[in-house]
Amino acid sequence: MIKVEFFGLYRLNYGMAEWETDAKDINDLLKKLHHYNSFYTVKELKNSIILVNGKNFMDLKKYRTKLNPGDEVFIMSPASGG
Amino acid sequence: MATKYGGYTGKVIKIDLTTQKVEEYPINDRDRRLFLGGKVLAARIINDFVKGPMDPLSPENPLVITNCPLTGTMAPCSSRFNISAISPLTGILTSSNCGGNFGMKLKSAGYDAAIIVGKSEKLTYVEILEDQISFKDAEFLKGKTTGETQELLGNKRLGKMVIGPAGENLVRYACVVSEERAAGRGGMGAVMGSKNLKAVVADGKFKIPIYNTDKFAKLRKSWTQYLTKHPITGEQLPRLGTAALLASMQQKHILATKNFSAGQFDEFRSISGEELAEKHLVKNKGCITCPIQCGRVCEVDGKQVKGPEVEALGLLGANIMNSDLESIIKWNYELDELGMDVISAAGTLAFAMELNEKGMWNSGVEFGKIDNISQVFHDIAHRSTQEADQMANGSRFLSQKYGGEEFCMNAKGMEFAAYEPRGAIGQGLGYAVGNRGGCHLNAGYMVVLEGLGLTINPYTTHGKAQLSIFLQNVMEAASAGGSCLFTTYAVFPGFLYSKPNSFVTRLVNKVFPYLGPVIGLVNRWPGLLQVNISAMVPHAAMIKYATGMRMNIGEFLKFGSRGFNLERSINARLGIDSKDDKLPKRLVEDLQIPDNPKSRVPLEKLRKQFYRARGWDKNGSIKKRTLKYYRIREKDLDVIAERPLEIQGEIKVIPPKPKKEKKVKEKAKKEV
Repeated sequence: MIKVEFFGLYRLNYGMAEWETDAKDINDLLKKLHHYNSFYTVKELKNSIILVNGKNFMDLKKYRTKLNPGDEVFIMSPASGG
Repeated sequence: MATKYGGYTGKVIKIDLTTQKVEEYPINDRDRRLFLGGKVLAARIINDFVKGPMDPLSPENPLVITNCPLTGTMAPCSSRFNISAISPLTGILTSSNCGGNFGMKLKSAGYDAAIIVGKSEKLTYVEILEDQISFKDAEFLKGKTTGETQELLGNKRLGKMVIGPAGENLVRYACVVSEERAAGRGGMGAVMGSKNLKAVVADGKFKIPIYNTDKFAKLRKSWTQYLTKHPITGEQLPRLGTAALLASMQQKHILATKNFSAGQFDEFRSISGEELAEKHLVKNKGCITCPIQCGRVCEVDGKQVKGPEVEALGLLGANIMNSDLESIIKWNYELDELGMDVISAAGTLAFAMELNEKGMWNSGVEFGKIDNISQVFHDIAHRSTQEADQMANGSRFLSQKYGGEEFCMNAKGMEFAAYEPRGAIGQGLGYAVGNRGGCHLNAGYMVVLEGLGLTINPYTTHGKAQLSIFLQNVMEAASAGGSCLFTTYAVFPGFLYSKPNSFVTRLVNKVFPYLGPVIGLVNRWPGLLQVNISAMVPHAAMIKYATGMRMNIGEFLKFGSRGFNLERSINARLGIDSKDDKLPKRLVEDLQIPDNPKSRVPLEKLRKQFYRARGWDKNGSIKKRTLKYYRIREKDLDVIAERPLEIQGEIKVIPPKPKKEKKVKEKAKKEV
């Protein structure tokens, strides 16, 4: 299982801090997340700040970054800084 | 002294507490045109009083309360006022900005600024009304907290600025409180305490003239709409407050942890903004005229209190190894009530903890031990134990007495905010060169570009000096104009924040540091930008419509740069030069991340770039041609320049266009 943690507005809007799922890559994960809770569309989720085991997915293989069981994924709503 | 500009009352008063005399202070339209208001106008006034190093707690230190042209005009986020003086914490010029209602009420009483000098024989409060200024006995307020004092002063209509026990006991980082907002930094509360001044209250019915009411109202509406639609000011700040930053800071290695020995805190989740919003937030609260409403009201121990900002969460949490959110909310409230700056109190506490851990001073406080902290803060405010009495003088004082300068987290005597600069080196540069010391805002707040808003490379030195200067100038000018600094977030278009993975945003992040030379040109000759883009930078146009001054983005940036240089020139007279623009050894020599050789602040290189880009020499002194460009005359820098009392003529106000006539004409046309 992949452990997903939510931060920023995602956590408030989803009403959950953590979620566990299986996914082969980030694309797959975002689709599954939308399927689980449709508050955000996949297109909106693609604007998230996503960290896979502490590394920004944009510095890895972006949406095709492979995920393995035991990976920790942080999904943060955009504009969480400022 | 009357003024031809709108947005001002045209009057500045000097109140002498020793003689109990009040007189008008000569500020003319040239001063308004060059120094605008707020912290910059205050620097111009303090410039008259500073002959050289002075005892900040002496009666001669002027406490200068200034309004801005937008204060009280109902422009968005404009209920701000400024308090400046020579700081008891740093010994140099300090300004402290506050969002309470006092500034608006002072303006309603008919005053742009009040300069308070001297010392009362016994505890006093000053009442400033339109027709009279009176000195009142405040013995009944002695020892009262800031909340109790405001309550006892009664009359909810009055604007109040008060101090708590910390100010009375000259704690060097005592703050001034107005409503629930604090002018926190630099010990302005101690300056009031040294004058035996417990409070200042103001009220009146003066109507602030607006130069062009139609255009002002139109821009006010569109600016408010822009702020409410922007992803930062319209959604993130209202929903989560500044506390939202904590999770980002953790991920970017900029969350000050264990007295800045690390940039990440394993237990950050339990002190995050999300946790605060879910478990403790009751409602949002904000300043008058503010559409953002970033303030929080939280519930703790069955009581509704002001919620903590990100600085409190970081410095009273990660930086002292505390993961108990309830304790942070409680201490944050207690510190406001005692009248102490949260940032400096927490920074001093963390330093005392590390001194204790290293066996250098038995301070009685330990990392991760939270059961005695409430009592320690109470003792500091009352200077009631030997240890607390020493902590009341700030961390630099402790380092001079017990050693540990290399891990004493301050610049020029002021404790740092919660951003660990080894994860954002531009912020580190700002801390070092900032005019009021280790302040994140006067530093330029580079973390907003280095990870918390945009994500430019936090470790590169490219363009950091120029970008810091640009942001310093923007913030200085926005503050002098009277806008909350949160409005400057919206200077960058929303999509850069809301679409961080898009090609355009990534390109901007990559290219930004290399635009240093171009930004440098704008910084050096802001007058080149003779344009107004009121959709993104409405500040300039807003000031223009309020005052009638010629104003565009270039002029606006010039105000900022002039202000920064003026403050530096005053500090230079107080002995500040390049040797003071420094950071503790831990931040410049030790790596934050052992396998990342760039995770330290290359200060020497950055500082050199900064001086050159600012037009200063290698010793950090302002070059004559720089002063000339900003029209800071050498005569202005002479001590107590004699100024003729010029009367500038009547205030010229363009009245709003009569709407009814328009409608009548339109109807007539239709009928034809």
